[in-house]
Amino acid sequence: MNVNLPAPSRSDTPGDWLDRLLAREITEQGGDYIADDGFTARVMQALPAPDALPAWRQPVVVALWLIAAALLAITLPGTAQELARDAFRLFAAQPFSLSTIALVLAAIGIATWTGAAIALRRD
Amino acid sequence: MAAQAAPPEVPDTQLIARCLIGDDRHAFAELVKRHQSSVRACLRKLTAGNHALADDLSQDTFVLAWRNLKSFRQEARFSTWLYRIATNCWLTQARKRHDELLGDRDTDVVDADADDWAPSGTTSGDHAAGTTMKIDLERALARLPVAERAAIVQCYHNDLSHEEAAYVLGCPVGTVKTHVLRGKQKLKIALAAWAPSQSTRTP
Repeated sequence: MNVNLPAPSRSDTPGDWLDRLLAREITEQGGDYIADDGFTARVMQALPAPDALPAWRQPVVVALWLIAAALLAITLPGTAQELARDAFRLFAAQPFSLSTIALVLAAIGIATWTGAAIALRRD
Repeated sequence: MAAQAAPPEVPDTQLIARCLIGDDRHAFAELVKRHQSSVRACLRKLTAGNHALADDLSQDTFVLAWRNLKSFRQEARFSTWLYRIATNCWLTQARKRHDELLGDRDTDVVDADADDWAPSGTTSGDHAAGTTMKIDLERALARLPVAERAAIVQCYHNDLSHEEAAYVLGCPVGTVKTHVLRGKQKLKIALAAWAPSQSTRTP
């Protein structure tokens, strides 16, 4: 902006003539309610299509996972501990390089996040 | 703006909840019906009376509102949130279609020199009618830079507080006050013929 603005005059008070003029314009336009005339219908047509899957999908998926985890915990006592122990032995005995470990972790992460994203996506 | 609409039976927050929880499009349609007038009027002001463009931007505003309803944290009124989206739509469009949106539709004055802020060549006789004043005001408003026009429209036309206008415009409150002050100074120059202190209204 290269406009050289004039210094504010004494009339630049909250109640000056421009404020009154703007307020009058608002008052006049306040009565001008814009009729819908099909506007809402056009907006609703422009909305993205609804989800193919219902909205209750997310809590159902979570509940199913919880049930599956609970069943595993009940039916296979001690299995998780044995798996962890075997995994530790495997890792302790085998000279895995850091890059291999990182690759495996990345693959597990990608698989987990992809599965979660597919299961929980809304759009 | 929407003052003539009947008082809503179901609050906006409840309709929003229905949209979010149950993907209830009827609830959203009710929200659109309630707020379409104020949003369209705001955009008509911002687009300097271009009704077709204002309606297109209004439609974009509500579609964006639907898409981003989850991000509405109720830190402001729903109408204020809609103004924010509408203003952003207008600003985005204004950058794309600079000439069409900014300035008078007959002239391409945006950042005009101070001389351009002199009153238009209307005669004192023209000022008798209230509609002339309205046209003069609209023309003067249309010639304001984007930020100043947006601030004036939010604070005066939409009757928002400086804090609410800052939320809508996404800038600090002090910046809003500066834009309003500068805009009003330019409007005073452009509308000097309407100042009551002048004995003769000849520009």
